[in-house]
Amino acid sequence: MTEPVWGPVHQDIVGLLADHPADVPAVVDHLTKLQDLLVRLPPLEASCPLADFNKLYLVITSTVLDGLYEDRFVDPAFLARLDVDFAARYFEALRFWTDSSPSTPRAWSCLFKRMRGPDARPLPSAAAGVNAHINYDLPFALVTTLESLESEPVDGSDQHRDYLEINKIFAERIPELRRGYLDHWQLMIDMVNGDIDDWYQGELVEYTRNVAWRNAQKIWRCRHDPDARECERTRLDDNAALLGRLLLSPLGAFLQ
Amino acid sequence: MASDPDTAPLVGRTGTLATLRSALLDDVAPGQTAAVFLTGESGVGKTRLLGEVGERLRQAGALVLTGTCLDIGDASPLHPVRQALRRLDADQAEARTTSAVRGLLQVFDEETPGPDGAGALLERVAQGLHLVAGGRPLVLVLDDLQWVDRSTRQLLLYLLAGLGDLQLSVLAAIRAESLRGAHPLRRVLTELRRLRSVRVVDLLPLDRAGTDELAAAIAGAPLPPEAADQMWQRSGGNPFVVEELARDRRDGRDGLSDTLREVFLDRVDALPQPAHAVVQAVAAGVEPVEHWLLAQVVRLPEDELLDAVREAVAHRLLVGADDGYRLRHRLVAEILAHELLPAERAALHRRYAEALTAAPAELHQARLAHHWRQAGEPARALPATMAAAREAERLHGYAEAHRHWSAALTLAATPTPVPPDGSRPPEPVEVDRVELLSHAAEAAHHSGEHARALTLLEELSADPAGPPACALHIRRARYLASAGRSAPAEEEYRRVLASADCTPHERCTAAARLAELLLHLGRYAEAGAQAREALDLAAEVPGSTSEVVLASAALGFSEAFLEDPTAGLAVMRRALETAERSGRPEDVACAYLHLAELLTGPLNILEEGVVVARRGAERVAELGLGRTWETRLLAVATNGLFRVGQWAEAEKVVAAALRHRPSGADAVELLLARCRLSVGYGDVEASDRDLEAVATVLAGGGARHVLPMLILRAGLFMWQGRHDLARQAVQRGLTESRSDDVIVLATLAWHGLRAEAEATASRTVEVDPTAVRRLREAVDRVTRKSGQAGAPVRYVADGFLALCDAELSRLDDGRGDPELWARSATEWDRRNHPYPAAYSRLRQAEALLARRSRVATAGKLLRQAHAMAQSLGAVPLSAEIRTLAGRARVTLDDAPSAGPVPRPRTAVPAAPAVDELAVLTAREREVLAAVAEGLTNKEIGQRLFISERTIGVHVSHIFDKLQVRTRVQASAIFLRNRPE
Repeated sequence: MTEPVWGPVHQDIVGLLADHPADVPAVVDHLTKLQDLLVRLPPLEASCPLADFNKLYLVITSTVLDGLYEDRFVDPAFLARLDVDFAARYFEALRFWTDSSPSTPRAWSCLFKRMRGPDARPLPSAAAGVNAHINYDLPFALVTTLESLESEPVDGSDQHRDYLEINKIFAERIPELRRGYLDHWQLMIDMVNGDIDDWYQGELVEYTRNVAWRNAQKIWRCRHDPDARECERTRLDDNAALLGRLLLSPLGAFLQ
Repeated sequence: MASDPDTAPLVGRTGTLATLRSALLDDVAPGQTAAVFLTGESGVGKTRLLGEVGERLRQAGALVLTGTCLDIGDASPLHPVRQALRRLDADQAEARTTSAVRGLLQVFDEETPGPDGAGALLERVAQGLHLVAGGRPLVLVLDDLQWVDRSTRQLLLYLLAGLGDLQLSVLAAIRAESLRGAHPLRRVLTELRRLRSVRVVDLLPLDRAGTDELAAAIAGAPLPPEAADQMWQRSGGNPFVVEELARDRRDGRDGLSDTLREVFLDRVDALPQPAHAVVQAVAAGVEPVEHWLLAQVVRLPEDELLDAVREAVAHRLLVGADDGYRLRHRLVAEILAHELLPAERAALHRRYAEALTAAPAELHQARLAHHWRQAGEPARALPATMAAAREAERLHGYAEAHRHWSAALTLAATPTPVPPDGSRPPEPVEVDRVELLSHAAEAAHHSGEHARALTLLEELSADPAGPPACALHIRRARYLASAGRSAPAEEEYRRVLASADCTPHERCTAAARLAELLLHLGRYAEAGAQAREALDLAAEVPGSTSEVVLASAALGFSEAFLEDPTAGLAVMRRALETAERSGRPEDVACAYLHLAELLTGPLNILEEGVVVARRGAERVAELGLGRTWETRLLAVATNGLFRVGQWAEAEKVVAAALRHRPSGADAVELLLARCRLSVGYGDVEASDRDLEAVATVLAGGGARHVLPMLILRAGLFMWQGRHDLARQAVQRGLTESRSDDVIVLATLAWHGLRAEAEATASRTVEVDPTAVRRLREAVDRVTRKSGQAGAPVRYVADGFLALCDAELSRLDDGRGDPELWARSATEWDRRNHPYPAAYSRLRQAEALLARRSRVATAGKLLRQAHAMAQSLGAVPLSAEIRTLAGRARVTLDDAPSAGPVPRPRTAVPAAPAVDELAVLTAREREVLAAVAEGLTNKEIGQRLFISERTIGVHVSHIFDKLQVRTRVQASAIFLRNRPE
């Protein structure tokens, strides 16, 4: 037998992923446990590239959870479910990867491949994870959440406002996460999104999150057509994978 | 070499087979439902496994119905179920079910569109299936569930929730590839997989050993190591690929083709021309392709056709069954899809369409529409598409109908191409675009596609032949309101009111609906004014009873919120009279419902509300509106009866309502009402069952009922001593509730605080300071927000706030403030809700006893609480009161109560005679039990309301009597003799 995907923590991660968190407190709990496992992954341990993304994601989700408790959103049922479904896709990608399944989204596998590699730079890794999660997972999470709530992606709705509120959370949290090594955010944005002229750190996220909302509207319109839906899925997967590989390539390395 | 397609052994699935059998049959208790959803990639063997399991269950005595969902996107509603029934009908071995099956098939044929038809159809299908099953366990096996239509999805959830009163198991296969992205089943499965009765089984490819075994079984001998390695590399353990590669290898074609695609293309190439044509024809058809149909499409003489089919089967491209031909596997269809030229494919579709036109068959219109569309003949596709849309509407499948109408619109706008043979250009079909748009918009609205409905309405209004502006405004407002977009909806209604072109009736309708909208927005004063305007308008307009009822309800509720309840009540009563005098049956039903809701809701005049609801239920049953309206009225009655403490009566009413086998939100409402009773009775099993049923229905959509479900879950966990789980349910509720929903938030906060307080008292789990902080914040928010809310909301919220304050005092000092509990008891007495009032008395007594003050008062309170709990039948609450009374040495009046006898649902274990402990007094035994829990004398004193010093005396007596010298030894004796 070859070495298990997750090395010494394989069984722990398999056990963790067997559980499907049902609410936001459980998602935060899940991400916390995952973080504890990822930093034990040899050879890089604390500097595991996936751990860099997971940590960022944990901080963001914890802030969302606080927001839900603190009455920050108009439609908490929507946001809570979106958060759960969104996270479920990250956990699902990890599960696919654990099973070495060909179904692992390409957007994610480019980051997962680096997990054990010698090259580990926190910034590109975290950015690649954000890219996969927002550019690929988010539009689909939006569509399934809205559909199950018997709602629709309508601009200017309460749900759209709550969705945009998350951008503020990113903007609040990213500067403090940046501390030191994230100084090169600007350069990276320059590289991947040449057409943005405001180089504020939060812009990448805000920009891609709006793209995600538009993509969700696009998927929404063709969601009853299996072929068109699959076509759209492949397109998003390919695009996100392309961007992800770019972030993780030697080009992304100089961001460090 | 024409081997039987099924000779390949089933490898590596022994465990799965056993799991499925027990999950679907052996472990299903009588009257229960179960489901297994099998996911896996194409070729992993899902269909094969469905067949094997189905066969085993049939042999074990189950009635197995087998259907397949179709990927033509616009199939007819409930197609897989009807197909399954037809297959059963054709099966000779099932002769004894024939009349029941035909009866049920007729139900589908005779269904007519109607307002509450969708739910009634579900009920009739459930009844029909009951007859078909004839007492045997029923198993519904569905393949390709990723293509399921919305109606079938709803039917499955309805039946799995037990609403059809049918013992049923569902086994369904889903292609894993389709679940990626945004498939609607994703969310459904996420919700369902949490239920005990549902399993999601992920079918993985074979491992290396399984791959070798399967290849060896087909080849007849183990593969040489190198070939086995190659097989493993190429197949990745996918059994379909292993099977086909191994077969090629055995037949000496090894090495020619490296991929599955090449394997099948080589086989197609090797076919003689007629067989080749047969395979291509089936690939273009809607499976299964009947023999007669295939004959017309390939145009071969019978003998040649049979030879060709046999050839295709021998090359493992085709399989034949009683109902027609299918390609060997979906993967084959995907490979073949690119092998035809567009013109060839169009020609095949045209032949299908022509053949089907002449001979109506299963799924007639949908298939006809599909083939004409694929044949590139929009003019011919159009009438079939419209017929398919009407057919879908007849079966209440508005989602499918909407897609057909939309397709019809596209077709109507497509210019008819010149037919390739240059001959007969089809007559252009005269269609009314306005009619198409109107149907499409309405179907979109009914299936919840609000944005699409509004877009279609815009197109309609741009059409000069479209309906007049006023009707469009009202319709647009209706669509906007159901999309939750209140502001633009209000604008549309105001336009109607301002427009001189609108008829008085239209203005009256707009005014009444606007009043209702404003009421929902909490703008009570405006709603009241608007309702008055509507009533004035209605006075001038004959035939406006519906508007009178609607406007009166808005007025009644707005007055109730503005603290003039009598005026509002009078208006609503008059509306009921008007409806009885001059309205349609629906108006009468609506008036009863609003009146009952007004009384039991904001006015809190519970007894009268219950009487009105029950009288209304009888009346609407006479009017023939039992299914929908009687059910709703009885739900109102049930909730009212629960609150006034007539639980036995409430139980009867809810059972009567459920006899209508309601569906959707009505069903959820009743299940929650029944569950509330079961939680009060302490019937864990019944509560669990209802909560599972609610979760099953909610998996299909809808968020409104999630919070009541979480609250009940928390209540149930508390009786089970699972305070950690109660905390989880409450915390989830807090993250998902809107801050303006004051009553829900207040109820949640109370449940949360009670769980924390009880966790502290019973030491089940550590107190979570973060959870407590968040609960305190929630209480603050409720206090703040209820100050701004209407009087009725404030009234209910204040009751819960009193409970919250008292629970907080219990958390703060571990004993609770008797004054706060007394206040809570008074509040709930005032509201005439005995259950929380009895609970508050229990806690007040506990707090008094903990302070060892006013013991006589405590005794009186406990007796009162006990009498109240006993007359409710509240078993766990009574038990807790008795425990406390026992510890405090309070004698409860245990004479048989005059009220309803509590149902002995949870057996209270009687303490068996225990030898070693027989020497101890009852009090000493209590103390010893606490010692065995590890409590200190001080803690024991607090629990039993006696001083620490007295406990010390008891402990030394216990030591003497048991002849031990340590607490550990004493505990060991206690544990050894513990009644279990």
